[in-house]
Amino acid sequence: MKAPIRIGGLFVAATAIVAVMAVPVQAHHSFAMYDVQATQVFTGVVTRIDPAPNHLAIFFAPMNDERKNVVRDEDGEPIVWSVEMAGSAQMARQGVSVNSFPPGTVFSVGLHPLRNGEPGGTRDGGLFRCPDRTPPEPGMHCDSVEGHTPIGEGPLATPTD
Amino acid sequence: MTRMRALSVSAVGAMSLWVWSAPAQQVAEIDFESVGRAWPLEHDLNDYELVGATMRVPGTFRRDPNAFTGSARSGETPPGVEPLETDLFTSDDFYKDRELWSDPRYFRCNSPGAIEDMWGGNTNALIGDDPPASAPWGHCDRDYPRESIVSPYPFETAQEHYEALLDETRQRGGPTEHSYATVPSEWTGRYMHPGRTPGNQYWFRTRHLQVPTLLSVLTEEYQTRFVQEVYHQGNTNAAQWPSAYCWPEGFMRRWHAAAVWEHHIMVTPSLVQILAGVARNFITNIHIGREFNMDGRVPRLGADVPRWYGETIGFWDEDTLITWTSNIQGWKTHAAFDHSNFMQTIEIYTPNRDADGNFLGLNHEAIFYDPEALAEPVRIIRNYLKTSGFEEGDPYVFIECVQTIFPIDGRATPVSPGQVIEYEVPDMYGRPWAQIWDEYFEQHMERPEEEDIFSFE
Repeated sequence: MKAPIRIGGLFVAATAIVAVMAVPVQAHHSFAMYDVQATQVFTGVVTRIDPAPNHLAIFFAPMNDERKNVVRDEDGEPIVWSVEMAGSAQMARQGVSVNSFPPGTVFSVGLHPLRNGEPGGTRDGGLFRCPDRTPPEPGMHCDSVEGHTPIGEGPLATPTD
Repeated sequence: MTRMRALSVSAVGAMSLWVWSAPAQQVAEIDFESVGRAWPLEHDLNDYELVGATMRVPGTFRRDPNAFTGSARSGETPPGVEPLETDLFTSDDFYKDRELWSDPRYFRCNSPGAIEDMWGGNTNALIGDDPPASAPWGHCDRDYPRESIVSPYPFETAQEHYEALLDETRQRGGPTEHSYATVPSEWTGRYMHPGRTPGNQYWFRTRHLQVPTLLSVLTEEYQTRFVQEVYHQGNTNAAQWPSAYCWPEGFMRRWHAAAVWEHHIMVTPSLVQILAGVARNFITNIHIGREFNMDGRVPRLGADVPRWYGETIGFWDEDTLITWTSNIQGWKTHAAFDHSNFMQTIEIYTPNRDADGNFLGLNHEAIFYDPEALAEPVRIIRNYLKTSGFEEGDPYVFIECVQTIFPIDGRATPVSPGQVIEYEVPDMYGRPWAQIWDEYFEQHMERPEEEDIFSFE
């Protein structure tokens, strides 16, 4: 089966990407594009890591509540989000790299979303990687899966209403 | 010593560019039999003729509109050659033609470099009046031998190769630990554009070999990628040259004649830097005496982040520099093949000297290991001819590429300030050139299926 990855479309959202838990002092762009009062939490499937030196980004397709597949648009294509973090070298030292997060990796992350409503945000809180091909139970996140890998300090963010 | 003299004569001629002489393609001359360097190159590419249809003047970058090299034009067939019913220039789905890819006639006996020129990629279009079916033919009886493309050495990995050379150097009393007083300072300076250095042709320019010969050194997946590259250069006229869009050039472009011009080399005891570039900067930092971190998927020096031009360590055996490069970002070279993140190289830089021992430049022998892309390791040998120190001549210009060409309807198109275009942001780590081909030119084709990463049923 051909994976319906339309990464081109998802990168429209990527024009906006973001950063780490807090706004890094070495940021190369303003973070005013994000609504830091809001937090969303996702469990998703990695489609691509962009190991940019300034801000690594994970592109991912959020999983559905059943955790059996991903959320899709009206054409059946996965909806892809981006979450921006610290620089690629810094993130590699934390355990997030092209090699450790290949496409298909399931992980959970909190983020402050873009103010403009596009599917992207800046990381908030801890990041948790599920064991290979082992998504969480319905409605749960990777921090609940035995054998998960925590990335960075702190628990998974708590979503705002 | 004959080859040394020939190069010396060339060095004089090189000062007035375009003076062409043809010394032998040179392998480094060393005074012992090494386990892994300076092994003979059986076939001198300078003895071989251009394979594909072209207006190029052999051995130069020049074109002559009256100097057609090829065997037939305008859709005609060369005498004595039976054309295939379907070939690259008549097929509407190259994926279905896989069993034909090993036949040079599928490419009308054109080299990859010649196919890139068909529509005028480097001026002088030859595609004919009914393109692409009217594409010309190259010479089916010409080719560069595969055995002079693949590595002659017995090593399966770059690590084995490097360790064997290091052991050998230890047995010879090395590695040599240079100080500022002993480091080969004569290396420091400016070197001639390798593509314009007389007698310096090598196979990676892809103008002296048939496409199936190059395909034969690639793995199945990378054969597909290479034919895709050739198809869109020759058939659809939708060439995607990364530097046209200010995308990265990629590691292998360091060996492409058009991507790196004059080389600037600086030598210190702990670091040797090679700087070159035209559309992008190629900076090779060779860290002397350091060791790779071997914990990850590939050896590396720094963080677990693939680097566009890799990371390099090395050691000296007297005045010869032996290096190992790893942690390279996979990418493509147009008119050549893709390489993967597993690409690693062993590169040896050996001084070329004249009969009196005067330094002329460097012999650069590179062996490429890429188990994902290459069916077996390959080797490229070339020479750098020193033209001056840094006391004279133009300085290196650091390049900041500003994009003026964008993919519009799948084709590289110049745009002007103020012009409004629709632009889809590419997935830079997912073969963005292939995404363009897929969207605009391959929707009707029977493309390979991709793995479904989204289902956990």
